Amino acid sequence: MLTKFQARAFFLGGTAVFTGIFLILTIDTHRQVPEQTNDSSITPQVAAGKKLWEQNNCMGCHTLFGEGAYYAPELTKVVDRRGRDWIKVFMKDPEAMFPGQRKMVKYEFTDQEIGEVIAFLEWCGKVDLNGFPAEPPLKKLMQPDTGTMASASGELPASVAATVALPPMFEQKSCTGCHRILGKGTPGVMLPNAVTGEVVPAPALDLVHQRKTREELIAWISDPQKVKPGSPMPKLTPALVSPQEVEQMVDFLLSLKAHTPTN
Amino acid sequence: MKFKTQKIAYWFFAAAMLLLVLQIIYGFIMGFARIGMDGLHEWIPFNTARATHTNLLVFWLLLGFMGSAYFIIPEESDRELMWPWLAWIQLISFLLVGVVALIGYHVNWWEGRKFLEIPRPLDYLVVVNVLAFLANIGSTVWYGKRYTTTSIVLYFGLLTAALLYLPGMIDFDNQTLDSFYRWWVVHLWVEGVWELIMGALLCYLLIKLTGVDRELVEKWLYIIVGLTFLSGILGTGHHYYYIGAPRYWLMVGGIFSALEPLAFLGMAIYALAMAKKGGRRHPNKTALNWTLGSAIMSFVGAGFLGFAHTLPQVNMWTHGTLVTAMHGHLAFWGAYAMIVLAMIAYCLPVMTGRKLWDNAPSGAAFWLSNIGMVGMTGALAVAGITQVNLERRMGLDFLSVQKEIEVHFIGMLLAACLFLLGILFFLWNFWRFGLPNDEAVHSDVRAAERDAPTPEPLPAS
Ligand code: HEM
Ligand code: HEM
Ligand SMILES: [Fe+2]
Repeated sequence: MLTKFQARAFFLGGTAVFTGIFLILTIDTHRQVPEQTNDSSITPQVAAGKKLWEQNNCMGCHTLFGEGAYYAPELTKVVDRRGRDWIKVFMKDPEAMFPGQRKMVKYEFTDQEIGEVIAFLEWCGKVDLNGFPAEPPLKKLMQPDTGTMASASGELPASVAATVALPPMFEQKSCTGCHRILGKGTPGVMLPNAVTGEVVPAPALDLVHQRKTREELIAWISDPQKVKPGSPMPKLTPALVSPQEVEQMVDFLLSLKAHTPTN
Repeated sequence: MKFKTQKIAYWFFAAAMLLLVLQIIYGFIMGFARIGMDGLHEWIPFNTARATHTNLLVFWLLLGFMGSAYFIIPEESDRELMWPWLAWIQLISFLLVGVVALIGYHVNWWEGRKFLEIPRPLDYLVVVNVLAFLANIGSTVWYGKRYTTTSIVLYFGLLTAALLYLPGMIDFDNQTLDSFYRWWVVHLWVEGVWELIMGALLCYLLIKLTGVDRELVEKWLYIIVGLTFLSGILGTGHHYYYIGAPRYWLMVGGIFSALEPLAFLGMAIYALAMAKKGGRRHPNKTALNWTLGSAIMSFVGAGFLGFAHTLPQVNMWTHGTLVTAMHGHLAFWGAYAMIVLAMIAYCLPVMTGRKLWDNAPSGAAFWLSNIGMVGMTGALAVAGITQVNLERRMGLDFLSVQKEIEVHFIGMLLAACLFLLGILFFLWNFWRFGLPNDEAVHSDVRAAERDAPTPEPLPAS
């Protein structure tokens, strides 16, 4: 059996060897990180955003690179997911957008500061994280069928999407962050109603003209809470979407009637 | 108790217990916020509660380690503590810095880096404080009449813990590098040098409580801390998989962190084997329960539950979910909270000269807190696994999933009540022991041991 002397040698020797390897790998990590993280694109604006991120302990609720707390969503890819404009409006008054939901602190950020935080998050979203966060592998099993059964899922057939162009504002203003329109957007994002607690998918909008009138649609987009209290759909007007834009959107959605097959 | 200055440990322990209660209160605040009862949001938002909860944890554990060192080092070195007055200054200033930091968290003054939220100016004060502690303990060892492996390992653990605090203070504009060095503190503490501290405390307690031969215990101590560093240093890589560091960390971190449970398994087997081999039954069974309990629960919480999500293929899905919180609770509890409570359970009778060891409240404290903590871990496990499946694997929206798993937090809170009850029993017992006193010097357990059912002579130690 080992003597105490040998046991101590095992401890000291092992520690020295593995500390050495660790330091070598650390040096190599320093060599590689600039490229892997686009270090050169860390502008003063990005750096200022990181300071704000730290000074307000955003990590105390959210995760970033999967690190932090588990109370609020992971933010690494949030700019991809929601878009800059959406985040701008949201940060001004988080509760206004999601009333009755889990609360976020309302920070008194200036527009410049919000820009810095977004720049920081945008930089984070471009870092090569070795594949994290992975695309959810089971998601495809849950997508609505977009083939011949298209109308059952509330969507027009793919052939229509191929011929009719979706105005860019639907993507810019983050509608496609939750809804599916003409084959664009995330299918079936499930969201809870704050009042009833019922979890429902954000519907596809291709056939919304069959369900709602022009006036109803305008009232809805202008202030979803007023029409259906507790709805998870955020109020985007007037900060992100102007009243004229609301009308343009509604007119486009109604125009899809012409492309809807009658049977 | 052999030396008067060992009594200082009592005040470190008492302060630690106070902070433990506060920690639990903030845990409850978060637990309630998670089931929608967030009425305190305006004053104590979740990030404040969380920073307070985890910093109080680290704070009271450090106080527990320091108290233990002030108790063990004079005895092992066979002399009074070098500068008792410095220990007092150090305790009070450490508490002051802590209180200022905690107030800071309530007024948005912090650093926003998980576990290292203490604002930078206070970091420097912590460093000065810890230097004073290390100087005090270090010179006591240095000028002591004898050097023991236990005291050397303990001192080495405390010293390296202090050194590893420094990399956490380097500033980077690059989030990846920021995170890289944050783990030098967080990981290399809990899966590195703190294990030395734990090993040394375990070793001391085993020698005292089981009467097993010191040479044998200390030899195994080296093997175990050797295993810790062998796996734990490169095991840091398990935090580098997905933060923008090179891909080889998946391999390095995966392999070495998968070996980390060996050190904890070693610790558990070693403690159980020594307890069996020692033969002598010290009458303070409560202290032995906590000691063996710590060795076993650290294997379950850190070793087993850590292993469960440490391979990169698994961590891809569990990284940053409640699965991590599940592991964090049982690991900290088993490895560090329990070993500090074991030290307290052992030291109190010795410091106060009272033999209140095996009574109903001390048994209730042990069982209720452990059953409660296992229940909390179970609830977090179910919540975490559900979250991983719904959010990470099926792609459902974050908040919708949180609604689905809310019910498990009701379960967690119920278990937390049991846990709290256990801790209250512990505190009640703590209170009943009264204050440490000079009559306890030299009279201590030895006298009590004569009343023990199977008295056997103490080995000369
Ligand atoms: C007593 C020892 C331990 C303690 C106190 C502990 C505690 C913790 C805590 C608090 C975290 C969360 C850290 C953060 O996200 O900032 C964590 C993460 C982690 N721990 Fe441990 N741990 C211990 C041992 C282990 C061991 C032995 C293993 C592996 C075998 C392990 C594997 C992990 C992994 C993989 C993570 C990252 C989880 C993620 O990706 O979100 N831990 N640990
Ligand atoms: C009544 C008891 C407790 C309750 C209700 C409680 C609750 C919580 C909650 C809700 C979180 C935040 C998780 C999140 O980010 O969403 C948390 C974090 C944490 N708690 Fe507790 N806790 C309690 C006791 C303890 C104890 C006794 C310990 C240590 C022994 C502990 C250690 C931790 C750690 C290490 C974290 C951070 C985990 C991570 O980042 O992965 N807690 N706790
Ligand atoms: Fe770790």
